[in-house]
Amino acid sequence: MAGTSVNGLRLTILVGEGDRWRHRPVYTEIVHRAHAAGLAGVSVLRGVEGFGARSRIHTDRLLSLAEDLPMMVVMVDAEERIRGFLPQLAELSLGLITLDPVEVVR
Amino acid sequence: MRRQWDVLAVISAGGVLGALARHAVSRALPASPTGFPWGIFLVNVTGCLLIGALMALVTHVWPGRRLLRPFLGTGVLGGYTTFSAYTVDIVRLADAGAVAVAVAYLAGTLLVALPAVYGGMVVTRWLVRR
Amino acid sequence: MTVLLVALGAAVGAPLRYLVDRAVQARHDAVFPWGTLTVNVAGSFVLGLLTGGALAGAVPGSVTALLGTGFCGALTTYSTFGYETVKLVEAGALGQAFANVAISVTVGLAAAATGYALTV
Repeated sequence: MAGTSVNGLRLTILVGEGDRWRHRPVYTEIVHRAHAAGLAGVSVLRGVEGFGARSRIHTDRLLSLAEDLPMMVVMVDAEERIRGFLPQLAELSLGLITLDPVEVVR
Repeated sequence: MRRQWDVLAVISAGGVLGALARHAVSRALPASPTGFPWGIFLVNVTGCLLIGALMALVTHVWPGRRLLRPFLGTGVLGGYTTFSAYTVDIVRLADAGAVAVAVAYLAGTLLVALPAVYGGMVVTRWLVRR
Repeated sequence: MTVLLVALGAAVGAPLRYLVDRAVQARHDAVFPWGTLTVNVAGSFVLGLLTGGALAGAVPGSVTALLGTGFCGALTTYSTFGYETVKLVEAGALGQAFANVAISVTVGLAAAATGYALTV
């Protein structure tokens, strides 16, 4: 599998399951905006355990700690397209947003 | 902190609904001093079946609804099912000399209710994925 | 009237379970369900006291409805106990799942019996 590869950026956003933007889940809003911006693709992954800025553990194993489980939104595209999309995330007041350089294997 | 208050409020309201349902079932199936406590047995088994189904639904069908799990899971089903009546009824039955009934109730609830959680979860996941 | 007392007890018992559970769980690593165990044992003890007292004729029916059926009933839970046990099994932590059942039942029964013996 010695395919050629091109450089791109991976945008990863970590949100809470209960985070909202205008009465709908914020991850749904991100997917909607990415779709409207014509990005190559987006995936939302469900987390089962973790903690964030407030150091409170969330886990689906304990009922009273099962609120606001982590959700990860991931998208990969060419650098200029990802960077061009970032201003659209600014008003959503998201938690952790990271960018990694990646090689996309073709 | 406002986030915390609405969670507590829905848990309290759910707990009231659950407890009233439990009260109604145990009224309909009153336990005699030495008889098998069918009312609370039924409550705990159905409550366990429902929590299994609920947690699968919250994860796979209704994600992102912040107050649903606290209201239905912690509130309604938590208030509906009870551990204290389970342990105290076992003690009460043993004290009344009905040791065999006490042991059957102790083991019977565990053997039916715990698989009921799993059954509720698995069947709901299967139905959701069809 | 009884229904109102049950509702009032449950309105306090259910959110107290949530608060105690979170407070206990915050002090431990979130692996073993100590929080649910704590409320179930505490509620078993209080209901033991009330039931023994009721059998001895010292606790009126209204108090049993408010604190027993309402408060202790909503403070304790079988569904969360069952759910958290099954999640331990699903995670492959069979020893912890078995320990949760064994400890909940034995310590819960001991608490219930102690409360009951104190007042009956």
